[in-house]
Amino acid sequence: MSNTTVKQKRPALKVAKSSKTLNVSSGVFRVNKSISKTINHSFSGKSFSSEGDSRVLDKSSAQTPKHTVQVFDEHGQDVAPRPLYNPDPGVLQPKQGKIFPAQDTSSWTTMTDFPSVAFQTTNASNTGPFTRSFFGSISASRTSQTLESVTDETKDLLVKQDLSNSLSDVQARREEVQEQVREDVLDSVVDCYLTETETIWLLDIPTVSVSEDSEDAEAVKERNNAYTELCKNRLGNDKYVERSMQTFNGAPKTKEVQCDSITMVDKAVMSTIWDMYDSFCNKSDVSGNTVVSDQGNKADVPDSSSMSKLDLNPKGPEQSKSMVSISSTVSGSSAQLEKMACVLLVEEEPDHELILQSDKFKQDLAVMERVILANIFQPKLAAYRQLPVIEDPDCVRMAMGSKNSPSPFLEHLWAFECGLTMGRNVSSMTWNKKNPDLLAVGYGQLDFKDQKSGLVCCWSLKNPTWPDRIFHCESGVTALDFSACNANQLAVGMYDGTIAIYNVQAAEQTPIIDSSDCSKMHTCPVWQLRWIDHESGLAGEDKGEILISVSADGRICKWVHYKCLECVDLMTLKTPDLATNHMKWNRTISALSPGLCFDFHSNDSNIYLAGTEDGYIHKCSYSYKEEYLETYIAHKGPVYKVTWSPFCPDVFLSCSSDWTIQLWRQDLQRPVLCFTSGQKAVFDIMWSPHCATVFGSVSEGKVEIWDLRISSLDPTIVSVTCPGVNPTGLLFTSETDCVLVGDSEGKVTVYKLRNLTDGGSTQVETLEDVIQSTLSSQH
Amino acid sequence: MAEVEDTLKRIQGYNGVIGSIVVNAEGIPIRTTLDNSTTVQYVGLLHQLTMKARSTIRDIDPQNDLTFLRIRSKKHEIMVAPDKEFLMIVIQSPTE
Repeated sequence: MSNTTVKQKRPALKVAKSSKTLNVSSGVFRVNKSISKTINHSFSGKSFSSEGDSRVLDKSSAQTPKHTVQVFDEHGQDVAPRPLYNPDPGVLQPKQGKIFPAQDTSSWTTMTDFPSVAFQTTNASNTGPFTRSFFGSISASRTSQTLESVTDETKDLLVKQDLSNSLSDVQARREEVQEQVREDVLDSVVDCYLTETETIWLLDIPTVSVSEDSEDAEAVKERNNAYTELCKNRLGNDKYVERSMQTFNGAPKTKEVQCDSITMVDKAVMSTIWDMYDSFCNKSDVSGNTVVSDQGNKADVPDSSSMSKLDLNPKGPEQSKSMVSISSTVSGSSAQLEKMACVLLVEEEPDHELILQSDKFKQDLAVMERVILANIFQPKLAAYRQLPVIEDPDCVRMAMGSKNSPSPFLEHLWAFECGLTMGRNVSSMTWNKKNPDLLAVGYGQLDFKDQKSGLVCCWSLKNPTWPDRIFHCESGVTALDFSACNANQLAVGMYDGTIAIYNVQAAEQTPIIDSSDCSKMHTCPVWQLRWIDHESGLAGEDKGEILISVSADGRICKWVHYKCLECVDLMTLKTPDLATNHMKWNRTISALSPGLCFDFHSNDSNIYLAGTEDGYIHKCSYSYKEEYLETYIAHKGPVYKVTWSPFCPDVFLSCSSDWTIQLWRQDLQRPVLCFTSGQKAVFDIMWSPHCATVFGSVSEGKVEIWDLRISSLDPTIVSVTCPGVNPTGLLFTSETDCVLVGDSEGKVTVYKLRNLTDGGSTQVETLEDVIQSTLSSQH
Repeated sequence: MAEVEDTLKRIQGYNGVIGSIVVNAEGIPIRTTLDNSTTVQYVGLLHQLTMKARSTIRDIDPQNDLTFLRIRSKKHEIMVAPDKEFLMIVIQSPTE
């Protein structure tokens, strides 16, 4: 066993001068098994050897020829590294069992040392510090082995080193080699393997005990004593040097980790009474829709702050997309919200249409319209309803040119008109029996020429600009009446004799029933219709309400509605023969005179008056078909209207085209009073429902209000209409003191009666007095 | 459908009506006669006010509900017809 001394004073480059040379290149460890002197290198450029390790110093190495390492590069040049350290040959190398090897070779990274490499495996670590002792130990373990054994270890990378290398060379060479090293290996990939090695025994000398009787006992004792002496002499001995080592601290390295910032979201829910009530009510029907909508609501809660942001971007798809992006960060179930938003995206266009067509929308629209109109017409409507008109404090009202004259006059409030009705002639007007704000107006030409299709409009006081219901009829409408029992039924009589009953609740254009199928329908225009309520009807028959009509074909008919309208003649208006005193019914040549109007007595529904085109007024009985009860003859032209007075049961009024209005008492054959003003036919008259002495009349170009208290010769109020426009109908309102006038241009104007003396009571006595005084003055 | 359009047109044509807006539940205008920024402003503000008003009404009696809201100001009157699916707003100035 060769003595191997290891000395390490300074880092030095080892030059492999052993029988084996092993070269290590960074990254690629080539195990050179051969003992060849020449070594091939895989890498281009310069080669280097990183050696470590055990300095195996042979005492005999000085004598044995040193094996030189020859390194050749690709071009065959000798680039063997020259030894850095050439020790002085005269220096005795102490034969100390220095275990630790000398060399530290620097690592690639450290500047000071070369890596000392002694590997059991092919692995090598680049860093120096911890390997130093490690490698040293390995080399130490190897030192006990023979070179041969070392050579047998193919994986060992042992390099013999020449201790005689001078330091200066080392220093200089180190720099050079280092530079070479750096250039070569900068780009190459380094694989580093770290493994744990086996336990390395540095020194294992088992204790040996010798008995005192053996032969060697003396020698052992001497040795023991010598050892004890040695230990005593140790202190202060120059041969022993205290040495300490310091381990390097590992270089700390800071490591940073970055993660997404955690977004904090505030979520709040307000619990209100109605919210709890709603949840309680909806508890039973929890469906997918409500769940989704709940989640939508949840998303809305934190979105309340972003609602304004949403509102600023009302572009459809983008908005809902942004809503998705906002809400998806907020709520957990982003998938469902996205689904909901996708649904929203898809349904957006139809949604608008759906909303516009929904019933609720139409309702709200109607309400809104009425509200707006209420704002506009507020003073007028207030005047109509006899409420005090509240001045709008914020708007500047122009001083209305109100006539403050003390004399009575008609104040124009507003007019029911719209584009649809323009140009049509108003033929009849009637109030709804149940809802006093509802007005039905029939439009139709009264002449036989210019016959257009008819129109029935139901106006509401709350909307004077557009009718609530519009019914188109085939022929001109000539008569209207609302039923009292079924307030939604409107009977319409037309120019062609048809009678139709409409239901005004629905906006359907078709009537409930039509008389066109009836065999006995009227063949001539129906001039008047009336629903009559027979409370005191005959037993088992005719109870309830029936529709009575009078038409130009001379018949007064009763219509009953079973499955279809059935007609029963009440009376046929035969022309009485005036030649004789008695009325003879000339049946052979009997013509029916066209009936123009009729009126049932308010108290006794069996008696009614009928006016004909001949100028006769017949008093008839409901149950008696054959004869008239009485005939009143005074008018010289067709009697357009006959009305009982609502206050005096015996008094009735009639008007005709002979320019006169006659006041009758039913027991007198001759009229009591005759009113004339102007030379125009009087189309319509009506008693005022408030005052017994007041009635209104409509003639060509004029609307007149007569008050018998003031004068019976002249009308109290005369209102002249625009030239060219003829008023054709008159209607008093039952609740207020207004009067409606329909004209030939399709307008229904509402007037308020102003300054008409109000006596307080209905003035029945006054009327009676007037009549009485007239009668007495006549005789 | 034509009826609805007619009515909307009529409403806009009445005396003193400055503008009318119909929006759906998300605030997207379906019909409007005002410019976009004004519409958006009105809708945003009135929506919140309507919610508050409805909350007030229902807090007092949960079976009740808000049907109409009118705000009278010095210059205008704002009328709001609220619903779950839409909001209808009309702004009218008083007639002289």
